[in-house]
Amino acid sequence: MSEMPAPTMTEPTVDPSVLAATPVDAQGTPRPVDAVFTVEQLAFFYGANQALRDVSLSIGRHEITALIGPSGCGKTTFIRCLNRLNDLIPGTRVEGRIDFNGSSLYAPGVRAIDIRRRIGMVFQKPNPFPKSIYDNVAIAPKVNGIRANMDELVEECLTRAALWDEVKGKLRDSAFSLSGGQQQRLCIARAIAIRPEVILMDEPCSALDPVATIRIEELMVELKSDYTIVVVTHNMQQAARVSDRTAFFTVDVSEGGRTGMMVEVGSTEQMFTAPSDQRTDDYITGRFG
Amino acid sequence: MLIAAPAIAVIVGVFHQALPALGWQLFTKRTNSTGIQNAILGSLLFLLGVLIVAGTIGVGAGIYLAEFASGRTERALRFFSEVLAGMPSIVIGYIGYVTLVVEFHWSYSLLAAVMALSVLVLPYIVKTTEVALRNVPSALGEAAAGLGLPRSATVRQVLLPPALPGIVSGLVVALAISTGELAPLLFTAGFSDNDPTLHLFHHQVPYLTNVVFTDISIPGARAHATAAAAGVVTLGILLVLIAIGRILASRARRNTARMSL
Ligand SMILES: Nc1ncnc2c1ncn2[C@@H]1O[C@H](COP(=O)(O)OP(=O)(O)OP(=O)(O)O)[C@@H](O)[C@H]1O
Ligand SMILES: [Mg+2]
Repeated sequence: MSEMPAPTMTEPTVDPSVLAATPVDAQGTPRPVDAVFTVEQLAFFYGANQALRDVSLSIGRHEITALIGPSGCGKTTFIRCLNRLNDLIPGTRVEGRIDFNGSSLYAPGVRAIDIRRRIGMVFQKPNPFPKSIYDNVAIAPKVNGIRANMDELVEECLTRAALWDEVKGKLRDSAFSLSGGQQQRLCIARAIAIRPEVILMDEPCSALDPVATIRIEELMVELKSDYTIVVVTHNMQQAARVSDRTAFFTVDVSEGGRTGMMVEVGSTEQMFTAPSDQRTDDYITGRFG
Repeated sequence: MLIAAPAIAVIVGVFHQALPALGWQLFTKRTNSTGIQNAILGSLLFLLGVLIVAGTIGVGAGIYLAEFASGRTERALRFFSEVLAGMPSIVIGYIGYVTLVVEFHWSYSLLAAVMALSVLVLPYIVKTTEVALRNVPSALGEAAAGLGLPRSATVRQVLLPPALPGIVSGLVVALAISTGELAPLLFTAGFSDNDPTLHLFHHQVPYLTNVVFTDISIPGARAHATAAAAGVVTLGILLVLIAIGRILASRARRNTARMSL
């Protein structure tokens, strides 16, 4: 993915004090009633480099929340805070607060492994394990000691991921025999096999062709009834098509560094028709600074 | 070409020397007669021993270094491994003699010899295991972490299987290296005209490189031919091991290529 030009800071058209006072939602948009995640003043550091500041938003249950913004604004960094996947990178640090179902995600005593079983993740590039289609779905429930009829569970998850009809005759074949779009749906099946509450998706369609992309989008909307979905996307149409709420991130270059920040969050309809921040408007309409 | 020509010349020369001694009696008679059966068995026994001792320790240490170690333990292990890698084989043999053979009262024996050979190839196995694991795309580790799999299960079920051809290929090459060694064995194995036994202690073990070494210094065409024949058999074992290693290594490369998508 080539670097997208970051929006240069023009004179803000909105009074900065108003901006500072509205870190949460665009004016007039209430927070989701039933929040799975509540993020307050999140900041994130890779060693001495601050990658994120001032992220405050809520993610509603059984909603699709889209994260959009230019390259390098910290979308991946943010979404990986939600399942503590950043814990794997040495030297990183989180400030602020993320509540998951009302309790702090980063509190001492909370084990990242337990969190990740409840918050699944689908990555930018399909990354099935070099195993059979069947084993890709069965591995996590097996390791986690989920006692179920494994054949049924595998069928159920593949069906849910809209892949069953295409693979039912070749469950023992290698996952690599599938097309990219099928592999990505397999990764979704693998993620839901441990029955998470949330599925995080980081640009799940960026490696796929338009037809495969549409299939994943349809799938996301279908899965919404059972799961909360957070999706990072560079595709404005995708965000507009599938999401209920949209958060816009940008890169702040004002203090010399390059720190990602959230500009605003609101219902997708409102964000795409009447964003309250000029930068959001510029980004959505394709004007970068 | 420049490398291949002398190698071929040497092999042809050894073959030529060995001609009078080549025949089935090599495999059916012992070194007190016209064969080298006992030495072949001894060398194969060493291979098995090295596979068990250096294989488990080396692969274990490689996995630990690649996936679990950090900070001080990692640095200590790496330093130790580098020191071992730089140690001349004759020194390893001597240390084995002073400690195992003399101090521990193991005498010249199978275990003393296997330990000396194992120490020799250990750093190589550690390194190839670590590299094989590091070559597994990090996306797989992330996927496993994203599913909440514990580290141990991730390593066992997700990272090790694709790394296996690379690890085994390293093991096989390590065995090939140990096959041609003489120095560490001179101090630890002893020799015997009898077939080797499975006794770990106090029983001397005959082996091929020793036949090459001793028979070449005995005057007489027959001894020289036997030495050369032992060399040919050693080369044969080496070639088989290297061939297996290459097949596995190419499979490992294919594995990685396929997974990087
Ligand atoms: N592992 C890391 N170590 C150090 N810095 C990192 C690391 N990962 C990301 N960064 C930095 O953090 C900033 C945000 O990166 P991030 O990947 O979160 O952006 P993004 O919004 O997902 O971009 P893209 O749209 O290109 O995927 C970037 O400046 C990046 O260089
Ligand atoms: Mg990203």
